[in-house]
Amino acid sequence: MAKNNMEINATLGSVSIKQKKKTSQWTWYIFLIPSFLGIILFMVYPIFESLRLSFYQSNGTIENFIGLDNFKTVLTSGPFWNSVWNTFYIGIFQILITIPLGFIFASLINSTARGQNFFKVIYFLPNVTSIVAAAMIFAFVLHPEMGIVNYALEAIGLPAPKWLADPSTSKWAVILLAVWHWIGFVIIICLANLQAISAEMYEAAKIDGASGLQQWLFITIPNMGGTFAFLLITGWIGALQRFNEVYVLGGPNGSPARSIQTMGAFIYERGFTGFEFGVASAATYIMFMIILVFTFVNLKVSNMKL
Amino acid sequence: MKKGLFNKHAFILSGLLLLLIAVLVACSNSSDTSSSGQDSGSDGGETAEGSKWDGKTLKVQLIGDFSMEDSTDPITGEKTPGLDTLKEEFEKQHPGATVEFILMPWEGYTEKTQAMLTSGEADVYQMPGIADFAAQGLLEPLQPYIEEDSEFSTDIFIDQQVEGWKALGPDSDELEIYGLPFFGDARFITYDKKLFDDWGVEYLSDHPTMEEIKEKAEKMTGTNPVTGEQNYGVWFRGDWSSAFTLLNAAEGINGKWGTGFAWDEVEFEFNSPEMVEGLNWMLDMQEFAPEGIVSNQGNEKWMTKDNNIAIMLNTGPANLVQQTYAQGLEDRIAIAQEFKNDEGKGGLFAGSPITIGKASENKDLAWEWLKFATSDFAQKYFYETGAFPSIKSALEWESVKEYEHLLGPVFEAMSTPYMPRYHWAAAQPRFILTSEIEAALTGKRNAQEALDKAQKESTEWLENR
Repeated sequence: MAKNNMEINATLGSVSIKQKKKTSQWTWYIFLIPSFLGIILFMVYPIFESLRLSFYQSNGTIENFIGLDNFKTVLTSGPFWNSVWNTFYIGIFQILITIPLGFIFASLINSTARGQNFFKVIYFLPNVTSIVAAAMIFAFVLHPEMGIVNYALEAIGLPAPKWLADPSTSKWAVILLAVWHWIGFVIIICLANLQAISAEMYEAAKIDGASGLQQWLFITIPNMGGTFAFLLITGWIGALQRFNEVYVLGGPNGSPARSIQTMGAFIYERGFTGFEFGVASAATYIMFMIILVFTFVNLKVSNMKL
Repeated sequence: MKKGLFNKHAFILSGLLLLLIAVLVACSNSSDTSSSGQDSGSDGGETAEGSKWDGKTLKVQLIGDFSMEDSTDPITGEKTPGLDTLKEEFEKQHPGATVEFILMPWEGYTEKTQAMLTSGEADVYQMPGIADFAAQGLLEPLQPYIEEDSEFSTDIFIDQQVEGWKALGPDSDELEIYGLPFFGDARFITYDKKLFDDWGVEYLSDHPTMEEIKEKAEKMTGTNPVTGEQNYGVWFRGDWSSAFTLLNAAEGINGKWGTGFAWDEVEFEFNSPEMVEGLNWMLDMQEFAPEGIVSNQGNEKWMTKDNNIAIMLNTGPANLVQQTYAQGLEDRIAIAQEFKNDEGKGGLFAGSPITIGKASENKDLAWEWLKFATSDFAQKYFYETGAFPSIKSALEWESVKEYEHLLGPVFEAMSTPYMPRYHWAAAQPRFILTSEIEAALTGKRNAQEALDKAQKESTEWLENR
């Protein structure tokens, strides 16, 4: 009898725990509803609506189904491929400059005995500055006649470019801004990895007679692989979506002469200034495919597992 | 003992959730409108009892830097009355009615207006892109209201303004009135008399030719003989508004952008001989301008006492009086007209009309607002906030007469723009043309090549749209 009672109690106990778990889950699902609703309304729905629009000629109210014509329009558009070129050009040089430079700065900061936190803050400050505000300031910094950069270049006898007023140098103006803005983030990430490398490895290398440079080349750099891969992928995704700074510096059509118009700006120009929502949606999906393929290649190249 | 759905923890968490939802709902409601009005007036009151407008609420959309409360201008330090002034006056004139304002910034106004129109958010709209929206059938035709209202006449508006805002409806064969002129705007040439005096150059004539501008700009480029500072003969924006500078130059020699208003009738003439000549003139003028015009730079000292630019092309009236007087430049700044064709017309037609949304349920009250917004009372109010009036009677206001040397030429420019306006400028051809002008100004292509390319791309866009 006693045994039976115990069994009943045990059964009741397990039922109670199950009920408790169910109740607990139910409660937390309620808390997730606002987030889910937000995701469904502001992410999932627009993604599918944009896909639908890409098959229509649409100005927001009047719509005609035109099949794949929007994709054809975008893929045969000179300005679109010009915007792809600009996006990659600015992205490549931003990454090629920032990651190595950030790593070098991080190594130097890591090797200093004093003031590490000071340097971390100084270099990270640009990254917490709004890119829109930074772009507005850079327009003055790179002013062809009154800018501090040209003042410095002239002071040391170098030619002063027109920067944003010349299509041949405007992309480099954006690259400078992008490097300045991103380098703090690169430094902080690299520093985190540098501080995680085992001190025993350096001690062993010293005992074997390795110089500081050799330690850096053969211990530090190989141990940074994961960080470099992470920076490469996040850097590329950010670079391919570039919009804010080029919009502030060159407007939706990337003045001068579309020289800094990125894919994001092309979509904005066609969608929100020309009311060609179908063309803009098609361009968005083409941009999505480009980012997808390029990120896949990046993952393969960097051997990174996500 | 009972462990139901509403145990202690679940009850507290659910309570918190409800609180969160309540806060979110409260926040969203408070940001919906900028109106301070809460009551609809449906409960009557002494004045509203039995009124035609009893219980009706009018939602009015406005674009720009407006505020419900009084504010202080950061440049002039002068106090600007809030929109409550208008609300109170309209509600006084229309007992029982309530006005709610929906304010939006100029940034992204077209897409925001499109969204509002589609969802029927407001009754009355400030509508710079009227041609696009009328063609979609989203606006109420105003001709019937004008015909039925004996108290109202379109003669009150400055010449060309009503004509300029006419648009094509979805089924109309000819241009119709969908909006009344609300805010005026114009383009003209502004110059600094002090620099002319320093260089010993005669002031611009009231209607200068391209040759006159070029000749005088050339003379005033270099080291100022009085101040010893670098001066530039001219400045014009080489990016965003460069298409309008070019079009005006072409109009000065009887050229035009093309023909047609409905898209299937539009034909561009971007590479006509007049347009090429105009662009070549701009390339010549660039020699007398500071570096950076293509990136909207080099004009930082304009409208200051340290100004180093003699002639400013393609300028507008926004804050002209306020800035001129705030900077103490009232004896220096003067205005000449842009280039006109043989019919006396030339330059950008701009500003904002005011319209009624097709989806409005208060169209009669909306019409009353349109009349009120274009009355002396409201137009004077908006003039004080920095906007430019669209009615002829403004010329008689003391506050306008006081600055007649500046405002007289602006009113003249408003009454002589190129007609019909460049409605295509809100679409892709404007960006194509602007980019090609930039290509010419930055030496990537010569004028003929740039405009040939603009013509080809614009025509292709037209065929594929």
